[in-house]
Amino acid sequence: MYGWIWRQLPGNAWVRALISLVLVLAVVYVLFQYVFPWAEPLLPFNDVTVDEGSGATP
Amino acid sequence: MSRSRRRAAAPTGNRSVLAGFLSLLGEFLITLGLVLALFVAYSLWWTNVLADRQASARGDEVRQLWTRPPTAGAQAAPGALDTQGGVGFLHVPAMRNGEVLVKRGTAPDVLNDGVAGYYTEPVKAGLPWDASGNFSLAAHRDGHGAKFHNIDKVKNGDAVVFETRDTWYVYKVFAELRQTSKYNVDVISAVPKESGKTAPGRYITLTTCTPVYTSKYRYIVWGELVRTEKVDAKRTPPAELR
Repeated sequence: MYGWIWRQLPGNAWVRALISLVLVLAVVYVLFQYVFPWAEPLLPFNDVTVDEGSGATP
Repeated sequence: MSRSRRRAAAPTGNRSVLAGFLSLLGEFLITLGLVLALFVAYSLWWTNVLADRQASARGDEVRQLWTRPPTAGAQAAPGALDTQGGVGFLHVPAMRNGEVLVKRGTAPDVLNDGVAGYYTEPVKAGLPWDASGNFSLAAHRDGHGAKFHNIDKVKNGDAVVFETRDTWYVYKVFAELRQTSKYNVDVISAVPKESGKTAPGRYITLTTCTPVYTSKYRYIVWGELVRTEKVDAKRTPPAELR
């Protein structure tokens, strides 16, 4: 997978490394900005209130 | 000849397919590990950065509002509430985390801004200026400002001070419940029986999740109002905070 991506990138090794870095940063950005905020309420790590467990998120 | 060549080629082909599959699987697992590590960084670090930024901006707004003289119409009632901006600041010296802005409600979008929220449901919180009631609060233990992270450092006799525009409400911690079910809503009732109290009074309840980094149980700390102090012109904090 990563090898395949590397081979698709244009330019010499330095250019490829630079593009790879940009791609990695883009992925991290998307994860922090969109994916994790979406996933977090679905995971049982951060509920702090007491409630009746009616299903309504506190 | 051709037969023997085919026989020799066949295992090599199978092996390369298998190797390709395994390397793909390996790369996928490495990726999964990296994403999970990033999620931990997001939960325990990045949400704190965002929440603290929000909380300090909102806190500054509230302080700004307080410095302005009360306008006749909007602030007519004593202790008039701007529930959007926040009702005041919580100071718990034992938690050593400065001041915590307190807002109305305990929904995730409120608490995720690095504030403590007072309950509106399942049991409506009493407010500090009410004649009696339980001022029940919730805040995050980890991430999103982690305002109650050090709740386990709060011991009986410690001070919990709530600051509003014109009054310091000084509470003293008298009981704690280090672990209870998340469905135990009795802990935030007006007279929390499990704290040992049987008569109505002016109580404060801090709730958060425990153990740290999970939300399996809830951690409860109860306090009772010992006195109030008028805020002076210089906003001199009460003795407990000095």
